[in-house]
Amino acid sequence: MILYTPLSESDIFPHTDNAYENRQCISYDGKLMIADKNNDGTFQLVQLMSTDPQDFLNEKYLPGSILS
Amino acid sequence: MKKEEEKKEDQSNSSSLVQKIQALGQTNVPQAPDSNIHVLSIIGQVEGHMQLPPQNKTTKYEHLLPQLIAIEQNPKIEGVIILLNTVGGDVEAGLALSEMISSMSKPTVSIVLGGGHSIGVPIAVSTDYSFIVPTATMTIHPVRLTGLVIGVPQTFEYLDKMQERVIQFVIGHSNIKEEKFKDLMFAKGNLTRDIGTNVVGADAVDYGLINEVGGVNEAMKKLNELINNNKNTENQVIQ
Repeated sequence: MILYTPLSESDIFPHTDNAYENRQCISYDGKLMIADKNNDGTFQLVQLMSTDPQDFLNEKYLPGSILS
Repeated sequence: MKKEEEKKEDQSNSSSLVQKIQALGQTNVPQAPDSNIHVLSIIGQVEGHMQLPPQNKTTKYEHLLPQLIAIEQNPKIEGVIILLNTVGGDVEAGLALSEMISSMSKPTVSIVLGGGHSIGVPIAVSTDYSFIVPTATMTIHPVRLTGLVIGVPQTFEYLDKMQERVIQFVIGHSNIKEEKFKDLMFAKGNLTRDIGTNVVGADAVDYGLINEVGGVNEAMKKLNELINNNKNTENQVIQ
């Protein structure tokens, strides 16, 4: 299917409420982060919210890493 | 026995390596000593009372406000640098952030990278000193409303008051004159079929909106200078 339209994708395919379900704001190691909850109960890091630039160099907090 | 242990260790090492590659496509990042400067990035849309769909990149003000308090009360942190690349967003959330940043006692410096549009303007000027990279732009335009709007004159008055708050903040925290800022805000013909102005890097400095054209190097130098000044005044008070 090819759509040719000036409308945005979300206007044509409205996002469903369950899109929010797995995304949570959690505190891990005392740091605030947004993570997706996986089916096996672990969290996958989406975004680290820290003001300390050194946290962004920490391998543990790379986006996409599994928090356990 | 020893060999088996080694083998196990090898396996766990390789599996963590695989996980890292799956996660980010890279295996290691450089380490550095603790920093006395903290970074606050304001990226994507500034999200206020309405939650935006998860595919949007947003900066949520409820996350940033406690962080600003934490920075203010942590004696190890001596300065803050604000990185801005935002398309704008919620007026009240943006003003809340701006007021928080402007009322901090620690030195603050902002860099506008890419774009600091709409409500990004008050956030950019809220710091002690502001920088803009030559290619960055800032769109200044009247306040808009989406969603349910009641078609009565009071709605317009409400919008007008909200706009006045933004204008007052910007002129109070930058060198731009009220008249000039309003001229830019209500200019015709700059944005196709829209009202407002798109101000690019050096122009923002000429108008007095931003202090200086510069990037990371200039911003870090300025922040360190402000930190030193701050330390000196503190010492004088004690003596």
